[in-house]
Amino acid sequence: MPDVLTDLYDLRQLFDRQQIMVCFNGPINAALIEEIGRALRDYLNHQQEAPRAVADIFAVYIEMTQNIRHYARQHADLDGSGNAAIVVSRDDGHYVISAGNVIASADGAALLARVDQLASLDAAELKAAFKTQLRKPRENLEGSAGLGLIDIARKASAPLSAALRQIDSRRSFFSLRVVL
Amino acid sequence: MNDLHLPQTPNTPAVTTALATGVVTMAGDSYPENPFEFFQPLIDWIDGFLRGQSGPLSLVLDLVYLNTSSIRAMMDIFDRMEEAHRAGATVSVRWSYDPENERVGELAEEFREDCTFPFLIEPRA
Repeated sequence: MPDVLTDLYDLRQLFDRQQIMVCFNGPINAALIEEIGRALRDYLNHQQEAPRAVADIFAVYIEMTQNIRHYARQHADLDGSGNAAIVVSRDDGHYVISAGNVIASADGAALLARVDQLASLDAAELKAAFKTQLRKPRENLEGSAGLGLIDIARKASAPLSAALRQIDSRRSFFSLRVVL
Repeated sequence: MNDLHLPQTPNTPAVTTALATGVVTMAGDSYPENPFEFFQPLIDWIDGFLRGQSGPLSLVLDLVYLNTSSIRAMMDIFDRMEEAHRAGATVSVRWSYDPENERVGELAEEFREDCTFPFLIEPRA
């Protein structure tokens, strides 16, 4: 098999097959989130997507990446938690945003349960959950408004789906897939 | 109390306040990682204005995209205005937006649901 770095054909085939438009993997910071977001918006505007669709895709991208940044700040001692894998692709006429990051294995089950719980709610229930969270006293918030995942679920056109893969005894890799 | 004149950046809105007229303007996107840091000076200004003035407070908004932490910060501002309104102060919001992006109108509408003071949502012609 040819070296994937000298022969990009296989990589390109994968990108083409999955209709991947943006793919990032590495340490993420606020400036990079902004730059990639700007590129994404420009691309979507260039594709003449409806302003509403551009707004939703951008919003979901920002919430997903800022969630990862927020988790990384709270887990600075967790090796690799500052890295993010972000993929924006198309599937069957829909935009799909996927993002993955290293989390503490101990957090895995609760996070999957939270995604499943949000996936089971309808639009009215998600709106109610958003407003309830919005009203939580700031002292109970631990530095985050706690609204990101609910907002993502509200903008998604299909239930959220997530996957968890064990890396070693302490760490797991969490992936979230959002269809717009 | 000093007025605020914050220039717009890619992830924070332009903000101006005017002690003389009670007009606060905000325009642009808001998605900083730590909105509480960004919004605190404005919240402090509004608190100071509502405490010290008898004149009306008007928010003139042309906000486009707000991340969820910015939504939380805006709700904190509207809550203060609601409290002042119930105590007899004259407060109002006028939020104009590009009708092509109805998400902005929907967001403003959800804020308005929790406010009883005049809250105008205006698609730009």
